[in-house]
Amino acid sequence: MKKRLLALTLGVSMTAGLLSGCGGGSNDTPATTPADNTTEAPASDEGTDTPAADNTAAAGEFNWKAYEGTQIDVLFSEHTYADAVEAKLADFEALTGIKVNYSSMPESNYFDKLNVELSSHSGTPDVFMTGAYQSWEYASAGNMEPLENYISDASLTNPDYDYADFIPGVIDALKWDCVPGHKVGSGSQWALPMGWEINILTYNKDVLAENNLEAPKTAEELLNVAKSLHEFNGSGTYGLALRGTADWGTIHPAYMSMYSTWGAKDFEVVDGKLVSQVDSPEAIAMTDYWVQLVKEGGAPQWSTYGWELAGADLGARKAAMMWDADRGGYTQNVAGASAEAGNLAFGMIPYPESAGKTEADMKSNLWTWSMAMNADSSKKEAAWYFMQYFTGPEFMLWSGTEGACTDTPRQSVLESEAYKAAVADAEGYFEAFSTLKDTASIFFTPHPYFSETTTEWAKTLQDLVVSNKYSSTEEAMKQLKETMDAIVSDLDVE
Amino acid sequence: MGKNNRNKAEDLNTVPFKTRVRPYLIVAPSLIITIGIMIPFVMAIWFSLTNYSFKLPNHKFVGLKNWVDVLSSGTFWNALLVSLLYGIISTVVEMAIGMGVAILLNNLNNKLSKILRVLLVFPLMVAPVTATIVWQLMLNSSVGIVEKLLNVFGIFNFPWAASPNTALMTVVMIDVWVNTAFIILLVLAGLQSLPKSPFESAKIDGGSAWFNFINLTLPMLKPSLYIALLFRLMAALQEYAVIFALTKGGPGDSLMSLSLTAYQTGFRFQKFGSALPYILVLWLIVNVAAKQIVKRQRAAQKQAAGLEE
Amino acid sequence: MNNGKKRLGYAVQNLLLIIYAVFALFPLIWMFIISLKSDTQVFTTTFVFTPTLSNYKEVLLRSDYVSYMIDSLIISGGAVIVSVIVGVPAAYALARYNFHRKEDLAFQILSFKFAPEILVVLPLFMIYQKLGLYDSYLGLIWVYQLISMPLLIWVVRGYFEDISVEIEYAAQVDGYTWYQIFFKMLVPLIKPGLVSAALLAFIFAWNSFTFPLILAGREIQPITVAITKYLGTDTAHYGQLAVAATVSAVPAMIFALCIQKHLVRGLSFGAVKG
Repeated sequence: MKKRLLALTLGVSMTAGLLSGCGGGSNDTPATTPADNTTEAPASDEGTDTPAADNTAAAGEFNWKAYEGTQIDVLFSEHTYADAVEAKLADFEALTGIKVNYSSMPESNYFDKLNVELSSHSGTPDVFMTGAYQSWEYASAGNMEPLENYISDASLTNPDYDYADFIPGVIDALKWDCVPGHKVGSGSQWALPMGWEINILTYNKDVLAENNLEAPKTAEELLNVAKSLHEFNGSGTYGLALRGTADWGTIHPAYMSMYSTWGAKDFEVVDGKLVSQVDSPEAIAMTDYWVQLVKEGGAPQWSTYGWELAGADLGARKAAMMWDADRGGYTQNVAGASAEAGNLAFGMIPYPESAGKTEADMKSNLWTWSMAMNADSSKKEAAWYFMQYFTGPEFMLWSGTEGACTDTPRQSVLESEAYKAAVADAEGYFEAFSTLKDTASIFFTPHPYFSETTTEWAKTLQDLVVSNKYSSTEEAMKQLKETMDAIVSDLDVE
Repeated sequence: MGKNNRNKAEDLNTVPFKTRVRPYLIVAPSLIITIGIMIPFVMAIWFSLTNYSFKLPNHKFVGLKNWVDVLSSGTFWNALLVSLLYGIISTVVEMAIGMGVAILLNNLNNKLSKILRVLLVFPLMVAPVTATIVWQLMLNSSVGIVEKLLNVFGIFNFPWAASPNTALMTVVMIDVWVNTAFIILLVLAGLQSLPKSPFESAKIDGGSAWFNFINLTLPMLKPSLYIALLFRLMAALQEYAVIFALTKGGPGDSLMSLSLTAYQTGFRFQKFGSALPYILVLWLIVNVAAKQIVKRQRAAQKQAAGLEE
Repeated sequence: MNNGKKRLGYAVQNLLLIIYAVFALFPLIWMFIISLKSDTQVFTTTFVFTPTLSNYKEVLLRSDYVSYMIDSLIISGGAVIVSVIVGVPAAYALARYNFHRKEDLAFQILSFKFAPEILVVLPLFMIYQKLGLYDSYLGLIWVYQLISMPLLIWVVRGYFEDISVEIEYAAQVDGYTWYQIFFKMLVPLIKPGLVSAALLAFIFAWNSFTFPLILAGREIQPITVAITKYLGTDTAHYGQLAVAATVSAVPAMIFALCIQKHLVRGLSFGAVKG
């Protein structure tokens, strides 16, 4: 009964994906009905192009041992999520008999490495880690295998997998129909989430109490509190830690969350072309506010700050608040991780009251580390076994509670008592997740030049904060619009 | 064989074929091993004429489009300026400090200088990216030790890499920290190899220390200075590790050098074809500069040899 | 009479040297201090703290650090050995023989050192995949020749040029074969230059980042590629990064200390005459 319901849900959401199927291995997508496979030889040592039912079981029945003896290659970025997978590799190998050749790279150069590997079309790695933004580039280039047909294939997917259990906003963030300008949420499922991050305010309770301040709820309060905490703990200390380096890392967490909450958009489709909207009145007003926030409440060296320094300042009582990925604040609050561990608490998205926004308008742009399958892989079924195991409910319950991956993408884990107990020490954390999970999404317009347009965007913010290059925010945003339009000019939006 | 060497100027035809090809045979393995690089080089020139991108399954010939796009963009000229400024300023500073320190180490033949001769090489042994991260921590305005030291002198919140006005100075400083040791080593070695006799006769003539330095030390030191300059300038023009680790090219475009722009366009934005003109122009500059320096080095070598006799 | 002035000059010279030494060594000392600090103390800017070896334990015992170091040693050491075997004869030929287009050839070899890494690395990646050299020790040792070979040849060549040809003739007259002359006589004479060039080549190879990142980095990860791992993925563990960086400098430091005497004397003949 449950199974049929699942199949139905999948069927509906997948059709769109099949119709529009872009780049990725469309000719070697698995057959839709398991019965078709009966004549296929089972894949044991080497994968075949179409998934085959196991020879020891009747067609259509899932069997963990079906690809025993296969060896797959996995490349991950160093992360807590990856550590959790690595810790349980032996369990997976024992269960399936699939040998996993696992390697990981530091995050700072992971995508450089992955780009080169995928571009060679050599078939390795079979499984890799990606973010949603990067998936737009990989999907357009045909590097990623669409997953919907694996998920819906009862002979390939564990009946307990429970795809519908993923938080809708998170799983949708990894769907796209490959048409630049079309939002995420429809089209093929390109990857499955390992964890996800909302971008919320973290603050030092102790510092705020000392200064008789309340945790800010609105954008206006945030600016005031950040300003009044200037040098609260001696020279060089400040109110609000934010990222500021010249790349997409600066745009996607706090900035994009507030940008969307303010009601601004990055692109619109006009006459079949993507047209940047960063010079809209909302975008200019929001950016104006942002620049003031950074100048008056941010780190003196903001433009060199990545997540490492932002988190470090918060944990060292050099910054009183931080608006960044929830993990950044959460991990500083774990006993022994930083000097201020235990003093941190979590807020949500400060909304601009002056722009007529309320709590209901809060939008967190989300980030999700997820795993994807290489379209050139020759061991797709075994790769899929790996993916379903490490995104399955059993593993995720463990990783979300004991495995330190507290930002779980599964509803069932989020609602479990074990999870609530695991994050109980982080004041406001569970509330932020349960509130924002319904509205959090990716608010960028998908297109394959994401890293280029956001790098330009970040540089414009830097110029506004630290140089006199522009006389006004409006001038800067108009210039940025032209730059962004030029970058995406060769994209056609049907 | 020694004889052949001495008589090389004589009619080559009298030299047996086997002997004539011997030098080529000896040099050949080193060329063959490194020549593999010429294949990528030719491929790179070809790619620069295509729209080669990781994002496209195939690439096609686009003629000079990449070149025209790059050379007509402000980005290119800014990058060229940053590369030249960074390369020249850091090399000049390193040469000046490296020479000064080497002369001090050479003059002061005391215990301190003997210990420092070894210790001062150590910065070279920390990989540039790591060195940059350590410096970033030290220069940080909230948690940095340098900031605390400056506070003593009444300087607060010095922006370092965070402001376009001081960013170049900051990366140059880190480059100087890492690479000055290389100059010190080469110049110190040059100083120690100077023959004693010209200085002894100068002593008799009663020339001042400054006079001796300008007329004897410097000309004889020139060949080794040129070698140091050659290796340092060529590397500094191409440097991007320090800049990338510190600011990723920001704030704004203030530190986007040719190699960093190429790296970002090619690997981050995955447009390899458009990245290549930047790097090929850089290669051309480096090669022309290297040829000039080698020419001068050879001339200085001859001049120094004359002085020594 | 002049004594006071001389003494002052001496003091000033020492002072200047000390100022530079502080600049050059303080970051290393600070890095070492950070390596002894726990995560909760790493951002304090005082010299008073409770030293801990926990970072060392974490990096050296609980990670694959040793395997990264071994990879680095194999590749950098291997690269230097190959450069010596192939480069020394080439340097000899470029110093001793006079042949057509000799200077062009020497410059050609030098120019390999200046081939922009970004330019060659992607085509090389494609070639390596085809040849099966991708992610192999051999492949990296080969590409590292770009770093080590030109430096070695140009420095050692200067040493050969410094040795009088007459010595060789004399030995020849005494009936020694060319090989005996080369290995028994010339090699000991150039040894100082050889070890110093080898040290510099080793340091540059050890610090190389782009080549191993793109051309290897899966099975084979030298320390430069792996090191930012220690910065961590949850909070930034600067202490662990400092440990990784400090320990990774040790082999080159030992190398330098061992050949310390040769280093200065060695370079004193060679590079100068380059």
